[in-house]
Amino acid sequence: MDFGDEVQKVYCWISHIGSLGLKVLWHFLHFIVSVWFLARQAAYVLESCFISSGLLKRYEALNLGNLRYLAIVIESEEAHQIPKVIELLNWLATIGVKHVCLYDNEGVLKKSKEAILEKLTDATLFEGVDENNLLLDQEHITLEFASISDGKGAVTKAANILFMKYLKSADSGGSSAESIFTEPHMAEALKAVGCRGPDPDLLLIYGPARCHLGFPAWRIRYTEIIHMGPLKSMKYGSLLKAIYKFSMVHQNYGT
Amino acid sequence: MPEHVAVIMDGNVRWAQKRGLPAASGHQAGVRSLRELVGLCCKWGIKVLSVFAFSYDNWSRSEGEVGFLMSLIERVVKAELPNFGREGIRVSVIGDLSKLPEQLQKLIIDVEETTKENSRLQFIVALSYSGQCDILQACKNIGYKVKDGLIEPEDINKSLIEQELQTNCTEFPFPDLLIRTSGELRVSNFMLWQIAYTELCFFSTLWPDFGKDEFVEALSSFQKRQRRYGGRN
Repeated sequence: MDFGDEVQKVYCWISHIGSLGLKVLWHFLHFIVSVWFLARQAAYVLESCFISSGLLKRYEALNLGNLRYLAIVIESEEAHQIPKVIELLNWLATIGVKHVCLYDNEGVLKKSKEAILEKLTDATLFEGVDENNLLLDQEHITLEFASISDGKGAVTKAANILFMKYLKSADSGGSSAESIFTEPHMAEALKAVGCRGPDPDLLLIYGPARCHLGFPAWRIRYTEIIHMGPLKSMKYGSLLKAIYKFSMVHQNYGT
Repeated sequence: MPEHVAVIMDGNVRWAQKRGLPAASGHQAGVRSLRELVGLCCKWGIKVLSVFAFSYDNWSRSEGEVGFLMSLIERVVKAELPNFGREGIRVSVIGDLSKLPEQLQKLIIDVEETTKENSRLQFIVALSYSGQCDILQACKNIGYKVKDGLIEPEDINKSLIEQELQTNCTEFPFPDLLIRTSGELRVSNFMLWQIAYTELCFFSTLWPDFGKDEFVEALSSFQKRQRRYGGRN
């Protein structure tokens, strides 16, 4: 074998070792990050127990003044766990939350609307109220049910209303596109297609992935978003903590 | 690896206040973090990086701060132009650019033109951007096409709206991962339509302190999540 072949062999050998080394390093990094997440999860569960038991006093009297409208996003497979959903709603009612939007992508919760309302004492269907008129001192909890058709689908339908207005106005030499396609007009058009819910102040996500799964995009400009983990592992303490954290937030709205 | 990473770079002013420095120092430190992130994205094969540099709502900040930010953006873009070419970075800018100073508008057109053939990383900068306005301008464009008889009203659907959003400048308009720094847990009107299935990663770190370690943590967290895009397993 000549010198070139030997060099080639050594080069291949170094390349394999290097590649293996990088793989080991990457897996080691993943292991460290996994251990970190596990430790964080354990601390989270412990804290949740302390909060639920009332040992941490600051969670006792929550200020719900800023929480006029709460949205709950549940991953559709978990949304079939209706008893869990009802338990969650009962917790919210106990805490004092008055207006809740329940969302899942496939509309499982919408289909179970009657079953959910039946099991809750003092719960009514959300009829559509102006954001400024949401009552916080009412006795019952109102529920809105939403799915993907209330998200991008609804914006498409609302846009059609604006297109018709624009075409009519263009034909008669009236308003320009700029004066038709505005945020207030879109909000009105969304109400006209049945999407009357206000922008939620807080959105809690129950599911494996930390994404809102198509919750009506138009409504979440300034919504606080908290990922709560899977519905099956939900904890009262974690819910209290999330709402407490929200109550301490101050928003600048970009200013 | 995610194909499209989006970042809300929050916390520059708080970073400066913690150190008793003027806000300008915080923004300059933020630029350094951004440079590092762009470099990492290039190295690690991320195809699109979108950053929320200036929100439409930010116009209500003090004239002094807004003026400083506009001139900082201009200085940085001019300084980085050779680097964009060298690193194969294509720059796209989205937002209501009509409100920007004329000089900056011309510079943006030049940079987009100069870098349009680059293909290693597409760097999307959201300036004077609002997610709701993005949806509205998409609807307005479709309205024009309907008026001109190019589209029938009954053909209008979600896909058509998506094609008209300002993120139509990229092959990967929907971020896989959205990172927000400084501990705020909201998207503040950024890419509202586009982030339906985006993994949301909120960090308490202030933007000037966001570096390689934090980015690795975000990427690891993204890789661990089970994402179904609304479907089933």
